[in-house]
Amino acid sequence: MTATSTQAAPSPGLAPAGGPVLDIRNLSTQFPGEDGPVTVVSDVSISVSAGETLAVVGESGSGKTVTFLSSLGLVAKPGRVTGGQVLLEGTDLLKLPQGELRRLRGQRISMVFQDPLSGLNPVFTIGDQIVEVLRAHRRMSFRSAREESIRLLARVHIPDPQRRIDDYPHQFSGGMRQRALIAMAIALAPKVLIADEPTTALDVTVQAQILELLTELRDDTGMALVLITHDLGLVARYAHRVCVMYGGRIAELGALDDVFTAPRHPYTISLFRSIPHLDTPPEAELTPIEGQPPNPAALPPGCAFEPRCFQARGRNDCKTIVPPRFATTKPAHLSACHHWRELGDLSIQT
Amino acid sequence: MTAQASHPFPLPAGQNPVLLISNVTKTFAARQWLLARSQPPVRAVDDVSLELRQGETLGLVGETGSGKSTLGRLVLRLINPTSGTIRFDETDITKLSLADVRRMRSRMQMVFQDPFGSLDPRMTVRSLVLEPMIVHGYPRSEINGRAETTMRQVGLDPQLADRYPHEFSGGQRQRIGIARAMVLDPKLLVLDEPVSALDVSIQAQILNLLRDIQRRTNIAYLFIAHDLAVVRHISNRVAVMYLGRIVETGPRDALYGNPRHPYTVSLLSAVPVPDPARERTRKRVALYGEIGSGNAVPSGCRFHPRCFRARLVGAKGAVPTVTASDATLPANCVHVNPELKPIGGGHSAACHYPDEVPAQA
Amino acid sequence: MLDYLGRCLVQLVVTLLGVVTVAFFLMRAVPGDPAQYMLGDYATKEALAVLREQLGLDLPVYQQYLLFMQRALTGDLGSSVVTGQPAMTEIMDSLPASAALAVTGLLIAIAIGVPLGIISAVRQGTWVDVAVMMGALAGISFPVFWLGLVAILVFAHKLSIFPALGASTSGGLLTQLYYLMLPAIVFGFSVAAYIARLTRSAMLEVLGQDYVRVARAMGIRESRIIGRLALRNALIPILAVIGVTFTLAFGNAILIEVVFSRPGVGSTLLKAILARDYQLVQAGVLVLAAVVVVVNVSLDVIYGFIDPRLRVT
Repeated sequence: MTATSTQAAPSPGLAPAGGPVLDIRNLSTQFPGEDGPVTVVSDVSISVSAGETLAVVGESGSGKTVTFLSSLGLVAKPGRVTGGQVLLEGTDLLKLPQGELRRLRGQRISMVFQDPLSGLNPVFTIGDQIVEVLRAHRRMSFRSAREESIRLLARVHIPDPQRRIDDYPHQFSGGMRQRALIAMAIALAPKVLIADEPTTALDVTVQAQILELLTELRDDTGMALVLITHDLGLVARYAHRVCVMYGGRIAELGALDDVFTAPRHPYTISLFRSIPHLDTPPEAELTPIEGQPPNPAALPPGCAFEPRCFQARGRNDCKTIVPPRFATTKPAHLSACHHWRELGDLSIQT
Repeated sequence: MTAQASHPFPLPAGQNPVLLISNVTKTFAARQWLLARSQPPVRAVDDVSLELRQGETLGLVGETGSGKSTLGRLVLRLINPTSGTIRFDETDITKLSLADVRRMRSRMQMVFQDPFGSLDPRMTVRSLVLEPMIVHGYPRSEINGRAETTMRQVGLDPQLADRYPHEFSGGQRQRIGIARAMVLDPKLLVLDEPVSALDVSIQAQILNLLRDIQRRTNIAYLFIAHDLAVVRHISNRVAVMYLGRIVETGPRDALYGNPRHPYTVSLLSAVPVPDPARERTRKRVALYGEIGSGNAVPSGCRFHPRCFRARLVGAKGAVPTVTASDATLPANCVHVNPELKPIGGGHSAACHYPDEVPAQA
Repeated sequence: MLDYLGRCLVQLVVTLLGVVTVAFFLMRAVPGDPAQYMLGDYATKEALAVLREQLGLDLPVYQQYLLFMQRALTGDLGSSVVTGQPAMTEIMDSLPASAALAVTGLLIAIAIGVPLGIISAVRQGTWVDVAVMMGALAGISFPVFWLGLVAILVFAHKLSIFPALGASTSGGLLTQLYYLMLPAIVFGFSVAAYIARLTRSAMLEVLGQDYVRVARAMGIRESRIIGRLALRNALIPILAVIGVTFTLAFGNAILIEVVFSRPGVGSTLLKAILARDYQLVQAGVLVLAAVVVVVNVSLDVIYGFIDPRLRVT
């Protein structure tokens, strides 16, 4: 039952060559809980290369956001990283003193968050906030920082930037606020940009514009783009590689086409079957994933997905052994399912 | 029930729709801060007409500022329309006294987006579910046991009836919200973004539950959402709103398969599908500019500043054109507000050029 | 902006009218007779009657009120029955001393309260936070007159750093300050407690906002985030409390002025109330109410500078 599809024509689904810019190795993060520490991110290893878009897919409690907050040293106290390495161009960020890590943030690795409405400081102008970022990292006069900010606003396609730079956030629409936040995030030409659900709070037409912008910036600057999302459609349209997370662990990791045509984890398959898409026959019944998203404080001893899995069906190894990451038949396609070999290829058009 | 019928739910003779919205307009006074100069009122809903039949789901889609949520609140008369009539169950609810509206609301209920915000955290699930019955003065004898039966109907374990909302997950809370709405056996449910706050793996549970309830009770749904795929999945008919107006409405398959209004076309093309191969070949239609706000509605067709089709038609030059929004556009797009015109099969679009369909992917 | 100021003016007039009316009837409702007070316990009935007629106290209360309002609207609030001075002059004379106390006290309160609140928020849950909040609780719990007495005992009596009582109205600025310091510190300390608690909670809320997280993700220094980006947001609720405390300040000032035997609106008012000096009380209440309204209006204008969302366009 192995995948037999022949090599597809060269497509944007293939990652560009080049070593990883950001290489996360065996990262674990814990929060203290009522009954001892709760592991929110567990042994996660992912990397992104220059010019590549990596999509990280998961729902609440999957650890997708905490993984990257951990990488930037931004986990809210009392959470803490308990193990692993985060190599940014070879430097382990987790070993850096706070001050040096701060200097890298915003400069070499940057992040855009979900809600553009609350991401901007309401009592400062858009210009003040970009200038603040520029001057936090570079010795430059207020004047030149302001000029640079106007250029940045133009860069993210905000019309009439000379005038809009003195606006306050509440005078911007949701899409424009996210553009302004992107302008801040790319102000210092970072090597890695992490976009955490950048369009979840935005309308669908604005969503398309923002993601086109991010892709354009990635192509122009050669930065690596990490797109954290729950929308499989966005992944299909914009990503080169996909990492599916569940219960704080990686469930599946591989090239876009491999994961989308031949998923090797039951959770990925269930996700496809449970969400209506414009492509599925309208009368088709959805197959919900039964049960609730995992509670990081009460993960089962074995595979985190086992209680909701259509394939585990009470198997002993699923219940007791945390699955390691298995290499599948495709290169660089990993699955954390004991029984990945039993999964057939996916036909989305059921 | 033939697919060709102009309406998927042909009415038996003598029966009227559950909900009939006729020419409803709602304007809000522009927000005044500290007696600032008065601005023209915002037309949040502008001359909207819709109907909804028993057992039918009407999907209402649109983006921020489209007025879809305002319309939902008008239907429940949580706010009063500026003009127009809303007939629910053959009664014009816009003329009812507040006491009558309250009585009528036992037959039409609402489910909100945020299941947590709408549930009193200090009440048990049992009292939450029974509250509508108590408010509407049902006798004790009828109330007894209803919490358990209703909880079972929405897939909640009745043994959890004495717990509090915070002990439930988001999906379960939304089930509680649905139970509260269903306990009075309403004829109409207005669902305002009922699944958009839920995790993707939970959305399907709620969508399936809503379908089951409808099959069992023949209830009518007004399903308000921004997610076009979800609306397509659950609706029989769909209406698309833009800046307070319905720009296109029709049976689900016609509207999704052959969208006639350029805004619907743009909207659908903006939604990605989870198929990499399809995504590489799909055409995307860009929108120009940003959605305006209700207090500065463009002249003529309100979509013309962002419309690709007006630009195509204008460029062909076969019709009188004017220069507007940095482009050559047909004069009627800029000056004449298009009516919502039937184009066959129960499908209508408010576009001067509904037949100018661009090559589709 | 003009609209806004106009509305504030209306607010001012309505407030003052209401306050004066309430004060008028409250004073009349309190038992006691100014004529009796002026003439002493052994005055004859006839003498009392004559004086009452002179003062208009023989009229029914509503007529007294109408008469009072009629005069008040022309700016005449009557004269103090005790000193014979116009009531307004009497109050205005004692205002500077009170204002000096309130403003100095408030400045001290801000200087202590805001930084402590910030430190407490930033070090939330540590011993620093606990200590500051315990101190603040103490500051709120101890009545200001008790604090005043303790301060006199310690600083004036035992340590002899400050004078115990009185104020200098004739001396130079330094002398005046010298007399002002102890009451101002006592007053500032009690208000600082409120301000520290509020600053802490305002800061904590702001530090949990998304834009603070964004600033951190952009590598902006923590000191800059707290001292500039977050503080300006936190200032809005802090200012609101300062407005309220300024109002309280005059109330507290009465206690402090009495404890320290300082001249001021507070002590003047107290004496006037004890003497049933109606005119003086009414003038005092009017002035205090005006101060409160003016302070709150100025704060509204300051909000606009801090928070652009409130700015009048």
